[in-house]
Amino acid sequence: MSTETETAAEERASRSLLDRLRASPFLSELLSNRLAVFGLTLIVTMAVMAVYARLFLDPEALAHTELGTNPSLAGPCGDPTVLGALQNFASCQFPFGTDLQARDLFLRTVYGAWLAMKYGTIIVVASTTFGVGLGIIAAYYGGWIDNVIMRTMDVLLAFPSLLLALALVAIFGVGLWKAVIALTLVYTPRFARVVRGAALKVLEDEYIDATEALGARDGRVLLRHVLPNSLAPITVQSTLNFGLAIIDLAALSFLGFGAQAGTPSWGLMLTNGVDNGLLTGQWWWSFFPGLFLAVTVLGFNLLGDGMRDALDPRMRETVD
Amino acid sequence: MISKRYIVKRLLLLIPVLLGVATLVFSILQLSPGNPARVIAGERASEAAVREIERRLGLNDPIWVQYGRFLWDLLHLDLGESYVYRRGQPVAGLLRWKFPITMELAVFGQLAGILFGIPIGIISAVKQDSLTDHLSRFGALTGISVPIFWSGPLLILLFSVTLGWFPTSTRIGSEYTAPQVTGLLTVDTLLLGQYEAFISAVHHLFLPSLVIGVYSMALISRMMRSSMLEVIRKDYIRTARAKGQGAKITLMKHGFRNALIPVVTVIGIQFGSLLGGAVLTETVFAIPGVGKLLVTVIQDGDYPVVQGIVLVFAVVFTLVNLLVDLTYSYLDPRIEQ
Amino acid sequence: MSLSVPDQIRAPGRRLVTAALAGAIAGGVAVAVFTIDGDFRTATEQVFSLGALAFGLGLLGWSGSVMAGTGIENMQRYMKTRSNWTEADSRRAMTRLIGFGLGVMLVASVSTVGL
Repeated sequence: MSTETETAAEERASRSLLDRLRASPFLSELLSNRLAVFGLTLIVTMAVMAVYARLFLDPEALAHTELGTNPSLAGPCGDPTVLGALQNFASCQFPFGTDLQARDLFLRTVYGAWLAMKYGTIIVVASTTFGVGLGIIAAYYGGWIDNVIMRTMDVLLAFPSLLLALALVAIFGVGLWKAVIALTLVYTPRFARVVRGAALKVLEDEYIDATEALGARDGRVLLRHVLPNSLAPITVQSTLNFGLAIIDLAALSFLGFGAQAGTPSWGLMLTNGVDNGLLTGQWWWSFFPGLFLAVTVLGFNLLGDGMRDALDPRMRETVD
Repeated sequence: MISKRYIVKRLLLLIPVLLGVATLVFSILQLSPGNPARVIAGERASEAAVREIERRLGLNDPIWVQYGRFLWDLLHLDLGESYVYRRGQPVAGLLRWKFPITMELAVFGQLAGILFGIPIGIISAVKQDSLTDHLSRFGALTGISVPIFWSGPLLILLFSVTLGWFPTSTRIGSEYTAPQVTGLLTVDTLLLGQYEAFISAVHHLFLPSLVIGVYSMALISRMMRSSMLEVIRKDYIRTARAKGQGAKITLMKHGFRNALIPVVTVIGIQFGSLLGGAVLTETVFAIPGVGKLLVTVIQDGDYPVVQGIVLVFAVVFTLVNLLVDLTYSYLDPRIEQ
Repeated sequence: MSLSVPDQIRAPGRRLVTAALAGAIAGGVAVAVFTIDGDFRTATEQVFSLGALAFGLGLLGWSGSVMAGTGIENMQRYMKTRSNWTEADSRRAMTRLIGFGLGVMLVASVSTVGL
């Protein structure tokens, strides 16, 4: 008896999810949004570059390469001016030039895509997991548990993300992994809030009561019904926060609290650009890593924004 | 209108907020690993020297005595002494001159955001779904995607290094001595009638404010657009539209006031991230404000200064939000207090 | 307008005291447990700090609810967000958190007499 209803419920849940995906105007709406498609293209490009970097580039070599023949720094395509660089483009050895240690800036920037994608994913996945847990618990149990969890989240949300991350770094200490942990804590409240809102709506529906009456345990009710139904707002929130997480991590590295010297991370490369290349005119030290960073973040923001619109009007109530 | 009672009530709320922030800071510093006496004494100091500093700082007292002393000192605006950055100097005095620098940057940045954001928002609402609207949306999304530590260097490289239109860093030309009245250079120079120095100060502030204001600009323009659209959709505007173009414009003016309400809220919420942006902007433009100081003292492990900055930020953030609330009630008299 | 203590003070007061009692018990247990693992002095410091954490969060949450209460409700009206959040509920929960934290801090302080 109980297994029968279980499989039935399971079937219904999976079918409804698939059906919704196929039948809902969401995908077609999203794909008709040119900006969102453009964003998706940017993300895919960066992801391909990241995978390429992971498979074919050696981070050790990138950290220490001495270019051997000519260790002095060079502009993009051997010319420090923008026009010169464009003219020499055909016979280009270092399209992005080299840095102070005469390392190939192009390969380092490409490898930066892997680092950004990797740590961005870790932060978003971890904070989504924590946020989903907290949000569902808050929504399901309500009362004082809800209040304590959500008020704490609100207090954390009241702090600007970079300042809170800096405060946490002051406690944890300096390092890439510590920065990742700090940012995970910073981003968790956003997911908790969204998931709680979405879960409350699902819980209002009657079928949860029915399942509960049939004797399903708390955990099963929560995961089987709340999670699939709040998947949409969670996805949107993840996409929007992916870009922000990448920027914040790069900012921590830029300020000297994240990636450590030698790592080919965009934030660190920008530190070099600002500290050493600003007044002497080495524009390529700042330009290329920052361009890649901005393009990646723009991709996530465009896609996330488009997703939010596509899910409208249901979404507007739960996301921001 | 806004009652005095409401303002007093809101100001009184500062007490629990500050006590809460102070208590959090105290407990977090207690729970974090590391011995402040060791930081002061330095890595190579003898065990006895560390003990001596512990005794002098009262780190051997029972915890509640330390907590009480911490609160008592705060009550007297005593934020302690710097461990490393300016060893032995009172933190309060240090922040007195650093803080206005950051405030000036934040206020100018916010002004830039408002001045550009509101008109852009209105235009894209009025020309909904036109090319202008799409461009402004794309622009806003680009604005929040471009990191300050990229746009800043690029602007410096283009406008300062290559074109020479703006100074590259610091707050005022080296030929002027910065007056110290309030600490806000633009205000001080005006107060003292040094108009050339004032122009130099504004000149130096231009690029940093632009860089820090882009994010506000993006958010404000989006918020302005959506709240303006909501107002336009409302019936009385529709009626006005039916009556003809002239009446529409009159009523748009009425609508403007209503549309501003959510925007004001965004400005308040936004102010916190502006302080976060100040950390990056000051680092890029070599502005010696609290943001740059925060980075330095975190690196040094100079906890009294970190703690002082956190407390000051909390006060400012609360006061700004009080101001926002008052503006809010002014714009929307229906809100009960 | 009765002469006795008005309800709007008595009810939160009772909530505060009950929570403080719970906090005191929890704090006592925590000091004992932490002492097993380290020395007594560090245990009191850690427990006091944890209590202070709850107390501080509670204070911020409480004032946040009072302060932003109208703001959030207005915001929800504009955004047409429907939620069960009410200022009163959240203030009550925060009062409990404040009381709990105070109880923990108090017990940790009292136990330092044994030092």
